[in-house]
Amino acid sequence: MRTEAAAVTLAGAPRSIGRWRSLFTQESIATIAVSLIVAAAVLLPLATLVVSSFRVLDDLGFSTTWGLDNYRLLFTDHVIPGAFVNTLLISTGSMVLATVLGVSLAWINARTNCPWREKLEPFNLIPFFLSPFVGAIAWHNLAAPKTGLINALARNTLGIEGHLLNVDNIYGVIWVTGIFFTPLVYLFVVGSLRRMDPSLEDSARTTGAGLLRTTLTVTLPLVAPGILSGAIIVFVTSAGEFGVPFKLGAPYGVETLTTQIFTKAVGDDANYYLGASMSMALGAITAFFIFVQQRYIAPRSFTTVTGKGFRPNVVDLGRWKWLALGLNLAFILVAVVLPIFCLVVVSLHPVWEGEIILSDITFRNYVKTLAFWRTDSISAATNGIFNSFILSFAGASIAMVLSLVVSYMIHRTKGFGSRMLDLLCVIPIGFPGIVLAMGVLVTYIKTPIYATLWILLLGYITRFFPYGQRNISSVMLAISEELDQSSRMAGASWITTLRRITIPLLKPGIFAGWLLLFIIFLRELSISIILYTSGTETLSVGVYYLANFENESLTSALSVAQTVVLLACIVIFRRMAGREALTA
Amino acid sequence: MSAQDSSFVEVVQLSKRFGAELAVREVNLAVARGEFVTLLGPSGCGKTTTLRCIAGLERPDAGEIRIDGQVVTAPEREIHFNPEDRNIGMVFQSYAVWPHMTVFDNVAYGLRVRRVNDAEMKARTNKALELVGLGHLADRYATKLSGGQRQRVALARAIAYEPKVILFDEPLSNLDAKLREQMRIELVRLQHEVGITSIYVTHDQSEALVMSDRVVVMDKGVIQQVGDPETIYARPANAFVANFIGVANLLEGRLLSRSGDVSEVEIPAGDGFAPLHLKAAGGEGASRGQKIILSLRPEDISLHLQRPEGGSAVNLMDAEVIDTVYLGNFLDCRVKVGAHEVTLQIDHFERLSPGQKVFLTFWPDHGLCLTE
Repeated sequence: MRTEAAAVTLAGAPRSIGRWRSLFTQESIATIAVSLIVAAAVLLPLATLVVSSFRVLDDLGFSTTWGLDNYRLLFTDHVIPGAFVNTLLISTGSMVLATVLGVSLAWINARTNCPWREKLEPFNLIPFFLSPFVGAIAWHNLAAPKTGLINALARNTLGIEGHLLNVDNIYGVIWVTGIFFTPLVYLFVVGSLRRMDPSLEDSARTTGAGLLRTTLTVTLPLVAPGILSGAIIVFVTSAGEFGVPFKLGAPYGVETLTTQIFTKAVGDDANYYLGASMSMALGAITAFFIFVQQRYIAPRSFTTVTGKGFRPNVVDLGRWKWLALGLNLAFILVAVVLPIFCLVVVSLHPVWEGEIILSDITFRNYVKTLAFWRTDSISAATNGIFNSFILSFAGASIAMVLSLVVSYMIHRTKGFGSRMLDLLCVIPIGFPGIVLAMGVLVTYIKTPIYATLWILLLGYITRFFPYGQRNISSVMLAISEELDQSSRMAGASWITTLRRITIPLLKPGIFAGWLLLFIIFLRELSISIILYTSGTETLSVGVYYLANFENESLTSALSVAQTVVLLACIVIFRRMAGREALTA
Repeated sequence: MSAQDSSFVEVVQLSKRFGAELAVREVNLAVARGEFVTLLGPSGCGKTTTLRCIAGLERPDAGEIRIDGQVVTAPEREIHFNPEDRNIGMVFQSYAVWPHMTVFDNVAYGLRVRRVNDAEMKARTNKALELVGLGHLADRYATKLSGGQRQRVALARAIAYEPKVILFDEPLSNLDAKLREQMRIELVRLQHEVGITSIYVTHDQSEALVMSDRVVVMDKGVIQQVGDPETIYARPANAFVANFIGVANLLEGRLLSRSGDVSEVEIPAGDGFAPLHLKAAGGEGASRGQKIILSLRPEDISLHLQRPEGGSAVNLMDAEVIDTVYLGNFLDCRVKVGAHEVTLQIDHFERLSPGQKVFLTFWPDHGLCLTE
């Protein structure tokens, strides 16, 4: 190692003179330009957010002074401290639930002889693509004390008084958040379980350890970094989740930081500056955990793959395999089947009161939310459909072009620019959408892009392009740099090489990334809810609008429409990209 | 108890199927206490499957395996001991050293599983580490070790709790050539020092010959020959063994007669050439006119530039040089004998040019008639 470092220094020294000239190659000019654009997009909102959080609105709401009052309110306000505690409780609870379920399901599917495990895996992953907000709406209709389908059934068939289940509380928030984020943990763990060298476990067995001991002392510790990473991502994503606590928490007194930020950013008594300080608090928590995960946990993952092709050890569960199958089916039931079934049922009733009434069944709710050509349709819903498709299509396309250029610069060029870009691409992951959206809001509220789709597009791309970038990077790392270099040797310029060699090779990664972003944008809520105005509603904002101002049946109809589109995208995603693209 | 000693590990009529393919076919094998036995064969010959059946990592379809008199596998009687209940040690090709533990913890694992008390566990772990020369690296994590060091950790881990048998699954094949040769010698030294019964799987014939007390040659799931290294090399039981162990020229012909230990064979040399009449060892039990294969090692054939006369002109063959390959300490020379191509090894560096006429001889006890 030491000699290598010395050699690099020696080789680098005489080159420093020629460095100025090398600054002006096609390649480096492009790198610097892109770095500046990305830096502006990522850093400007965050910087403005920091500055705004120190501006204190006077009592009349007209002028501001500088001060720490916004931060003082975080501790003294009659709602915010409780919201803070609730956020931590919900994040911790969801993390525990998602980790237990995610690790169990990953182990069952990757390592046991549980029946139908290969057929069930795609269904285990479906919640990853659906909207947790819609999940919360569905669970509200399933298990609200009075109007919940399950509770109504229990009253009618079991003769129970009152209710069997109640999700309109903090446990309901944890439940829905936990099951919807289970696939996150699953995806972090399943790859290393599947590709682990079986002789690592075989040697524990031959050394005298039983199956249980081998699993506890060898298998799980080897995937521990993946489990920990998955758990942290769930904690952070739950802390930034807006839809679920908005539906199941806030109306019943369970406020969280996200619902409070929303309250302060939107509405008659909006106080952007207090919202900014709450966003700072939330962002500080999430950024800290993401930093720990990226810096200390992700690099610790063990290389357990030895390059030799093998099948992983399959544990014969004996009779227990039926329990494993039961858990697997139960998860799919509560996370996919019941919610979708319930939404469809509710959407077919003019008004939902907990009872299925076959004679009442109507498609009027779909007409009112989808039939944009009719005058009696609800414009928030129909606008949302149009806007979301435009935003998703344009956003995914622009983000992938940006991702492509950024990935290329990170992996194929060297020096200051590429290292800075690499760092810039991690930053948006550290901040929840709602926090970044607050930053974008306070930055651009006085510019012409406010109240247009452009501000939403900017928010979407800034927050989510790192996902696309990672997708491309993983493919790019697998493609030998020599393929590029051969093109340069053959006399092609950098641009020509990119166009003729690099991009064609990256096509599968580009498409998988594009579709992933398309799906994310199509269901996006927590950025949209901060940045939308009348006329720029999105699909999820439409659902929010219906949930808030109309009834459950109309809400369910639009939710079903969104879910159907997302499910169609999953089918395409699996066809085109396969399982590997997901775990990358 | 001498019967038990000569068959400390016993494999009887073992068969294992993977789907439609029979990976191991009625294999019988007895390993004595303290013996070093190698299963040798090309990939897919069933050697690793046999080893994994002995380890309990694979469940055979039929047969029986006994270790130290204890039946550990007998599918017909529904007996199957899990690997952890067989008191064995195993060293894998990929080392399988656990990256989340230190070298010490890796080696101590088997002793901890066996609930050996702390003081003894430490003493025995350190002893095993000293034995493989890694005492100074006990606190290192496995990820910081070289390939050779990892293999030593795997070895120390397998011997630390003094199992009854140690199983090796191609443990040296991931090491570079030089280290591999060094580790071979070290493994044999260690095995003699510890005196542990060892079953070793490899596809490398020189590894098998250098290390083993006995070699078991397998092909297509069937044992081809069992014997000590000299026998396997000098008296291969059939054409497969002759060809797999070292290099052999195999010439097909018929038995003419037998007198004493010497068989006389006739080998057709192709159209327009007179058949060869050669004398060689082997061919026991073959009847006159039966098809035989004459096996000739390249190093056992002598090459002459002039036609030899008198006593040295035994088994004389006319030949024509095809080409020669320079290999440092000797030359590989390909010649044509009639229509046959014969490879021989020569250690003198006379210039041989393609097409040159030369003469070959070999001593009858250097050739071997095989009846398959």
